[in-house]
Amino acid sequence: MSEKDNLTNLINVIVDGDEIQASSIAKKALDSGLDYKAILNEGIIKACEEIGQLYEKEEYFLADMLISADALKAAMKVLKPAMEQASEKSPGKILIGTVEGDVHDIGKSLVTSLLQGQGYDVIDLGSEVPPETFAQKALEDNPDIIGLSGLLTVSISKMRETIALLKEKRIDSKIIIGGGVVSKAACVLIGADDCAKDGWEGVKKINRIISSKGGGVV
Amino acid sequence: MPHDWVKSALRLMNAMAGKTKKVDRVPYFALINEQMLCRVAGVTVKEMLSSPEIYAKAVIGSYEFLEADTIQIPTSYAGPGEALAFAESNDKLDTIRWYDYKPLSIIQGAVCKNEEDIDKLEIPDHSKSSIWKVSTEAANIVNEKTKFPQMFGLGIWSVVQELRGVQAFKDMRKNPELLLKLCEKVYESQLDVFKFWTEKVGFSPMIMLTGYSFNKHMMSFDDAMKFEGQFIKRLQEKTKVPFIFHNCGTSPYFMEACKEIEFAAVNGSHPLDLDYWIKFKESYPNVTIMGANIDVSREMLTGTPQDVEEKVRDNIIALAPGGRYVCSPVCCLPWGVPLGNIMAIPRALEKYGQYPLKIQ
Repeated sequence: MSEKDNLTNLINVIVDGDEIQASSIAKKALDSGLDYKAILNEGIIKACEEIGQLYEKEEYFLADMLISADALKAAMKVLKPAMEQASEKSPGKILIGTVEGDVHDIGKSLVTSLLQGQGYDVIDLGSEVPPETFAQKALEDNPDIIGLSGLLTVSISKMRETIALLKEKRIDSKIIIGGGVVSKAACVLIGADDCAKDGWEGVKKINRIISSKGGGVV
Repeated sequence: MPHDWVKSALRLMNAMAGKTKKVDRVPYFALINEQMLCRVAGVTVKEMLSSPEIYAKAVIGSYEFLEADTIQIPTSYAGPGEALAFAESNDKLDTIRWYDYKPLSIIQGAVCKNEEDIDKLEIPDHSKSSIWKVSTEAANIVNEKTKFPQMFGLGIWSVVQELRGVQAFKDMRKNPELLLKLCEKVYESQLDVFKFWTEKVGFSPMIMLTGYSFNKHMMSFDDAMKFEGQFIKRLQEKTKVPFIFHNCGTSPYFMEACKEIEFAAVNGSHPLDLDYWIKFKESYPNVTIMGANIDVSREMLTGTPQDVEEKVRDNIIALAPGGRYVCSPVCCLPWGVPLGNIMAIPRALEKYGQYPLKIQ
């Protein structure tokens, strides 16, 4: 099978959400001598773009995105040792969590999986994360971006509190808020740098910020 | 002057029936949860739920303070109350999180982690559920004191997601039969809610149906029908009560859902484009719009009382002629919304919402 066929197959199985095949094809590609960078850029990243396009065309929905993201992560796991051996740096470090008082984590989980699948270093703090934990982890890990997620209308006030603490601690990471409850107006009001209404928009905005800083995958 | 709840009930009923000659003004449907009750009543959630008297007093005081035309017990729906009922009946109370001034919540997906959990899932007996007991007793007190018929809420997907979490979405593609099994159990639990409420409080004039799956951000319309819509239809057949269809998501399938399922009213804030709602009214003239584009996380949160007033006025001009319009900011009014913006709604309704309408 040609290099191109291998990568096309990899894209297809990732888009189809087939974790086992994604892992197997990525391994075969690597074993056949294909460079991990080619597999990453021409396979995994392209698959991620295709998943996003299908979502935007409303052919894919959250369920499809989530299983494709699992396949993306499975392929990435195969590449990880080769990347580590080559001392490949992650395109960016993201600290993410659902704010305190909110247990909804589906959007956040999707963002985490899609970013990990693209090789980002993601520190997922889970749900119900107090402002102090965000601040403490941000000071320890110095992330490029901090993502605050929330679904409930009550979460906006907790996002505001978290952002105020991050600024008080002089943490200069970019802050993105995400979830059905956020709006541009709320984003400005609470002092976030940007907002995303859903997981895919969050991923796109994170990619954009990271590439504007000279890193990233797109 | 004491709040005239009978007048409010008639205002709501006649507006929903399109009888504008019998309505003095556009009614105000306020959705408030425990957070607002605690804010107004000055008690914690646990204090409030410790006694039906305290709970009812907080509910009546808060709705009267807000000058709303509706009054209801916030825990009696397929949200946190159902989460607690399932956690209690399945010995998983450690999955519940309590807060002083906010609704309790459940760790999503912690009750039904695997197939065995779904197989063994016990459907709650609501007569034994602590939160449903206090909710129904409080509803009876509210009923007695206000004479406003008490309503409760049902829902399928909200509960499924609480129990199964993110895995529910993966099941949709990888194991739909398993997910349908869970939906079926949730449906059974909702029938038990209906039975329990009817026995304890009496016949509910309407049921608030949280159809959270009917949102493009969640799933396709076909999937929403498969994993929630078909169960809503069955609930309607069993209960024979008019449903208010609530969806506070940002891309709801209101138009599409009303083609498939009969609703008395829809309650949502999105789409924000008022033209959508005008088209909705044209397409479904007998379905009451409760809400339209007044959103608690936009102008209610970040605007001024004037912004809110203008939004209410625009809604009245577009949707109130002929009735079947009830003003409502959607969803639950959160703590951070300025009081001036909240009170701008009843003020604007007094100013612009009097029938016969004077503004065009």
